Amino acid sequence: MTDTPDLDALRSEVRAFLQAEAPTNWRDASRTQDDFVATQRGWFAKLVKAGYAIPHWPAQFPGGGRGLAEQKVIYEELAKADCPRLLLSFVSTYHAFATLHECASAEQQAEYLPRILEGETWCQGFSEPGAGSDLAAIKTRATREMRDGREVYVVSGQKVWSTMAQFAQKCLLLVRTSSDGPKQAGITYLLMDMDAPGVSVRPIHQIQGDEEFAEIFLDNVEIPVTRRVGEEGKGWAVAQATLASERGLTLMELSYRMRGALGRVAALIRAHGHEEDRGVLRDFGALVTQVDAVCAIADQFLDNRIKGIERMGDASIVKNSYSRALRAYAKLGLRLGGMTEQYIAPITFGDLNTGNWMADFMNSYAWTIAGGSEEVQRNIIAERMLDMPREPKSWVA
Amino acid sequence: MIELNELTDAAQKAFPAGALSPLRDESWELVAEMGWLMVRLPEDDGGLGLTREASTAIHFEMGRVLATTPLIPAQLGLQAVLASEMLAARADWLERIAGGDYVPLHLLPAKLETAEDGAISGTVGGVFDADMAAAAVVRLPSGYALVPIDAPGVSFAERPIWDTSRRLFDLVLDGYAPDPTLMLCDVAGAGPLHDALAPEAHLALAADCLGAANAALELTIEYLGMRRQFDRPLAMFQALKHRAADMKTRIAAAEALLWNRARDENATLTQCGAAKTLAAEAFVFVTEEAIQLHGGIGLTEEHPIHRFMKRAMLNLQLCGSPDLWNERSGREALASLD
Repeated sequence: MTDTPDLDALRSEVRAFLQAEAPTNWRDASRTQDDFVATQRGWFAKLVKAGYAIPHWPAQFPGGGRGLAEQKVIYEELAKADCPRLLLSFVSTYHAFATLHECASAEQQAEYLPRILEGETWCQGFSEPGAGSDLAAIKTRATREMRDGREVYVVSGQKVWSTMAQFAQKCLLLVRTSSDGPKQAGITYLLMDMDAPGVSVRPIHQIQGDEEFAEIFLDNVEIPVTRRVGEEGKGWAVAQATLASERGLTLMELSYRMRGALGRVAALIRAHGHEEDRGVLRDFGALVTQVDAVCAIADQFLDNRIKGIERMGDASIVKNSYSRALRAYAKLGLRLGGMTEQYIAPITFGDLNTGNWMADFMNSYAWTIAGGSEEVQRNIIAERMLDMPREPKSWVA
Repeated sequence: MIELNELTDAAQKAFPAGALSPLRDESWELVAEMGWLMVRLPEDDGGLGLTREASTAIHFEMGRVLATTPLIPAQLGLQAVLASEMLAARADWLERIAGGDYVPLHLLPAKLETAEDGAISGTVGGVFDADMAAAAVVRLPSGYALVPIDAPGVSFAERPIWDTSRRLFDLVLDGYAPDPTLMLCDVAGAGPLHDALAPEAHLALAADCLGAANAALELTIEYLGMRRQFDRPLAMFQALKHRAADMKTRIAAAEALLWNRARDENATLTQCGAAKTLAAEAFVFVTEEAIQLHGGIGLTEEHPIHRFMKRAMLNLQLCGSPDLWNERSGREALASLD
């Protein structure tokens, strides 16, 4: 890749910062959820101060106003330096930011955006037990009422798979204000305080021992009408802005990190004396190539985006390529690790390639299920890229 | 980039997607006319002096139409001559090749023995279209050399292959007395020359695989859209759509790696071999699925989809099987991740 001089300068600047400031022992400091959260908050604050936390925000914010090519440089360097990924602040700086920036009123923007930089954390209340891939099927009800002289939505229902909601102060909430017409039409978008009466959060115990997600229970929660984004019943369009906020940087970053973590598999091969086992070498070689290809396609996707020649479905191809490679990576490690991996060992929060192979294997499902499952991505590729026809919509039981 | 697009456009005009495996000799003339035989010949030597990306783009388009014309062995033959410091009449040969003489590099091993008098006997494998060759670039026991097809002691025998879009020959040497003026390099230079040409061969084959894989996928989607069962096009069934999406995904990842390696002048032989392996395996996967998705018609000669599968199976083996390259990739990665 040839960088323009500007990007080269930025790259050296980021490198110099990381050389001095990149946390080195963050994995050891992320063995418990509380330690993980503290590590995340500390690193986010440092990056905000250095001007690398929100390169995609507008220039009026310190560290903002950078184009996608510059963002890519920053993320490449963060990945190469093996820094902690900004997980806790991700919903805040991407989803909440994009929603507020593109769809919210000036008052709402002024109220919420600066606080994100101070560490205010957002979560996303979208999915529900009955609305996963079919998000528009949400049932959480909101009715408009006057309470104590102010107009509020009174919200009841349940949200699920909300990333780190147990640590969040604010929530991007999708509710149903009407059941008439198409299901997308009755959805309204609200901004909720997580400490409002009637909100309770229960972390989800995942199969690998992590608690990255939580359920949110809403029992007659009052949300002022002034906290609505967009018009009543027009929340689906706002939700699209939220979901489109991520620009492909995450998958590029994760791919680079997986390549950086191939050494963990190499170490296993040596530890088990497989250096001359041709079958193992072939499997390892195939994995290396698969990971290289994922890095190449994630890179190409961003380059196309920078040039403005991205096609519908490209993002789905990158996601499915990454998630399959991640599964293959974890499975090879798990296989080579042998019986050792069946004894429970400490997990590392906030990393996908930890070398705890059983945990990594289970964690890899997050990428084939969350953020639009592998199957949904296949539909997108087939229908929007390959122009294959949609199935008839109606179904009679 | 504009240059590449122009090449691609020109290739698609000259070799339209509808006409699979156009006749070899006409195609060769067309290819020569378009200057593709000298794409990689430097401008100082009278060629076009284009990059590896440009030749990759051409091989991609040739794969798309299952080209019968042997552009890959021709390009490699040219590059072997170009790299030679020994060949007396190097400039003449370059001119002949650029002008349309076919001088292929053989793509399978040679099994040769040298008699006491220096005469060579044995078989040179993997000479594509030997019947139209002026000479072949052959790895003799004494180094790489040009072997004129009509020299005494040289004959060729076609070895029919399942892939009917190509013609493969053995070059048979029977007491062939090598011409010292036609040596390209000595024994010591043979390994380095092989290793200099091999990345080019891998990238060209990978491009051939992926151009063809895209065409096979397009045919399959077209068929699924046209064929109706249960009162709807097959393309509407999600089970089949998902398979098509996976075919596209495999192709796209292999393509990204191919272009990455084609652009990277520092890409190693093993890295290029890995790109070819991924591409060939994607091509095999796509065509295997394509035949299944075509159902009964896919098993008949009436429909061309089988030709893609046969080319895929041949490409998988050319220049080393996946087993070989995956092992090498694994070994090198292991050593570098110390």
